[in-house]
Amino acid sequence: MILEDIKNISVTKSVDARGTACPGPLLEAKKAIGTIKPGDIMEVLSADEGTKVDIPKWCTKQGHEYIGTVEESGYFRIFLKKK
Amino acid sequence: MEKKKLCLALYTGSVDKLTAAGVILSGAAADDMSVDIYVLLQAARAFRKDIGDDSDKLQMAENPNMKAEFLQSLKNLKVKTWVEFFKEAKEITDVKIHICGLAGKVWGGEKLDDFINIADDICGIGAYITSAQEADVNLFI
Repeated sequence: MILEDIKNISVTKSVDARGTACPGPLLEAKKAIGTIKPGDIMEVLSADEGTKVDIPKWCTKQGHEYIGTVEESGYFRIFLKKK
Repeated sequence: MEKKKLCLALYTGSVDKLTAAGVILSGAAADDMSVDIYVLLQAARAFRKDIGDDSDKLQMAENPNMKAEFLQSLKNLKVKTWVEFFKEAKEITDVKIHICGLAGKVWGGEKLDDFINIADDICGIGAYITSAQEADVNLFI
């Protein structure tokens, strides 16, 4: 999927974790994933560089599909699909 | 799928290392790990009801002269206290906190009720060794 497509994905849930440092965004993602259905798409907003690495790895381990990361001004939007 | 297990021998009673332990617990919680924490000598003091995350009563393991800056920086970054990290991990995954009976006594704690309410039981060292033998990840902090 190209960046432009990812940017325009419609998400079921958006988790704004920009106010927290590691491990905040990962835990916010973990808590939020329990509130959506399999196949739903979630984005995590984070200003923490580590989240860019953590969330894709976490998706691999948990079986969720990591879709991609979009860099915005001062933060990242990390997209994933729940297994 | 069977959960991976983390066994943590928590020796430290210092605020900086307890915070590090809290961050690691968060990672374990995000991964749905099952966690056993054995609260050993110095750590049992921090688990006393009258201490917990009262940072005035906790020392730093390293850079003791920079405690104020360290705590202020954590606050600015909205980082949770060590007790908050432990509580949150317990809410998310299976975390059991065992106070070493000897360690408790060293600091005047005989009963579970003498410790903050995230502790699950008081145990002997045999329980720790058994858990460590079964764990996928072993840490000593």
